[in-house]
Amino acid sequence: MSTYLLLDTSTSRTSVVVVKNGEVVFNEHHDGALSHGETLPKLVAAALKVSPQIDEVIVGMGPGPFTGLRVGISFAQSFAFARDIKLQGVCSLDAIASQFSDKDFVVAVDARRKEVFYARYIEGVRISEPNVCQPSQLNALQIPIYGEALNHFPDPSSFVDIANSNKTYSAPIYVRRPDAYPAPVGVKFRPLTQLDLVPAFAIEKAAYGKDGWSMAQLKEEYAGGDRMYIAAEFGGELISYAGVFNLAGVADVLTLTVAEGHRRKGIGRELLRRLIDWSRTQKCEAIMLEVRVGNEEAIPLYTSFGFIEISRRKDYYGPGKTAIVMRKELK
Amino acid sequence: MKNSDALVLGIETSCDETAVGIVSGRKLLANVISSSVDEHARFGGVVPEIASRAHLEAMPNVIKQALSDARVSINDIDAFAVTAGPGLIGALLVGTSSASGLALAMDKPLYGVNHLSAHIAVDSLNSDHRLDPAIALLVSGGHSSILQVNDLTSDVITLGSTIDDAAGEAFDKIARILELGFPGGPAIDLDAKSGNPKAIDFPRGLTLARDLVEHKYDFSFSGLKTAVSRYLAKTPEYIRADVSASFQEAVVDVLLAKAIGAAKEVGIDTLIIAGGVAANSRLRALAQERADKAGIQLRIPPMNLCTDNGAMVAAIGSLAVAKGLRPSELGFEANSSSGIANPIF
Repeated sequence: MSTYLLLDTSTSRTSVVVVKNGEVVFNEHHDGALSHGETLPKLVAAALKVSPQIDEVIVGMGPGPFTGLRVGISFAQSFAFARDIKLQGVCSLDAIASQFSDKDFVVAVDARRKEVFYARYIEGVRISEPNVCQPSQLNALQIPIYGEALNHFPDPSSFVDIANSNKTYSAPIYVRRPDAYPAPVGVKFRPLTQLDLVPAFAIEKAAYGKDGWSMAQLKEEYAGGDRMYIAAEFGGELISYAGVFNLAGVADVLTLTVAEGHRRKGIGRELLRRLIDWSRTQKCEAIMLEVRVGNEEAIPLYTSFGFIEISRRKDYYGPGKTAIVMRKELK
Repeated sequence: MKNSDALVLGIETSCDETAVGIVSGRKLLANVISSSVDEHARFGGVVPEIASRAHLEAMPNVIKQALSDARVSINDIDAFAVTAGPGLIGALLVGTSSASGLALAMDKPLYGVNHLSAHIAVDSLNSDHRLDPAIALLVSGGHSSILQVNDLTSDVITLGSTIDDAAGEAFDKIARILELGFPGGPAIDLDAKSGNPKAIDFPRGLTLARDLVEHKYDFSFSGLKTAVSRYLAKTPEYIRADVSASFQEAVVDVLLAKAIGAAKEVGIDTLIIAGGVAANSRLRALAQERADKAGIQLRIPPMNLCTDNGAMVAAIGSLAVAKGLRPSELGFEANSSSGIANPIF
């Protein structure tokens, strides 16, 4: 049996727990959204008086407001290094979820900017990576929501079990990119023109095969009203295109495709941002899109913008190819 | 261990450098710096969230590298020191939390130190000269101050500081206008070498008689910035190197006029120039010239110790240990705008 030092600073609460041979021998916390830096060393000093010997450190990796979150992680990192002991990180939301046993519920904590970090748990198991959205979007799910707003905080005494049974993390769970994340270097964004349709079709075909738009469909979709298409080019060559359609006050993403070899560079993110901006200028109340089940590149991008799944359409992309319908409120 | 040989590890994270230094007394053993400057170059300035993320990521390796360079083990360290302010609060907290983790794990004292005092204390390394009293001109991307250093670890008075931009900030902004890149200091320094410093007579901020009443030792660089922009706008065929050289001359001239003026007036015969801008070659050359003329002893730390580094933090920590000062209280508050009044928190 080992002695564990367990720390969490992912919410406005700073918590320090020591578990020795399966027993909680120290468990203290302090509330204050701006005081993690001052509080944590004092609590750990008190914990070390109870148990000077520590065999392993487990820290909550968030998600949570970054400044406080990093206090716990940087402390844990250095402490474990200096003592030459093992360090593990767990998802802090799991340590809130561990306090509840509903069949289907969500855990949400403050993410600032009127948003929350959340994860959904079904039968006690987290069904996806933590994400960020507006609180109203979680309310729409009509399942219990536990978290900081109702005074539920991560309980570090559950960290040992979580580390044994769930995924562990070696870096903070940021979910969001830094605000000032740069636009992809050397990529130019501009309106899509008629001349782009031929290279666009080539990208479409390479990406979706025969499930994609035909040249005729592409021309027709391009020519329709109440819509906006943008292009991204690199070195004078079309590498990506996207379009959005204002359908009676709800924007619908028509397409968003990045050529193979240019993916995972923030181009899709930039295009999506521009589609959302356009939809706002059209005073759309929401923006919707469909994405293939299992498209693991696109779905995290959409969720990071606050899109949430509202339904599924069977055989949308052809037999057996289900689409997830996602929606983001703009008002 | 004698207190004067204490092995001290210092951590600096107040801006975009993740830095760890190790000293033994006044001897420098290791100085490791990991910079996120390339990340920030794309924005023309430091982005706090990017800096904080980079600190957390870099810290473990920077600490390990410093211990390895110094050929010591973490168990050998007698005391820890960390920059507690001023600086970017999110960035500072990564440093103070890491340092607290080390100090508590090893049950050793921790000193939270003032970043500006640390810049001056770096002058103590690898030499045994008398440290104080001295006048210090501290010029960097975030600070431009003239300090009266009566006692480096306990009594430092601010005589004046910038009322708008820091000198280094002015270099960054002008470099951006001239499309010389970020950081601006080294870029302008290089460009200015082929230019004429007297080509354009840019203004020297806060040097008029009426300014000197209230702002004798204060600086202002925003008027200079405007003057350069105006000049560029009305001179389409400007010679960039002349603009760089003349701008640099205006900054350096006013920095030194006020710093040497302070030394003379207070009656202290030593001037220390520290901070990132102390790496500027024109500042160094003109400072030597004017100090010699005024009979003032000039000390400028080696170039690699002028910009933000961990050695300077270890250096002031080591001076505090040598004097037997009490370590900082557990959980001292990292403070983004701390004044120089408390060299040790």
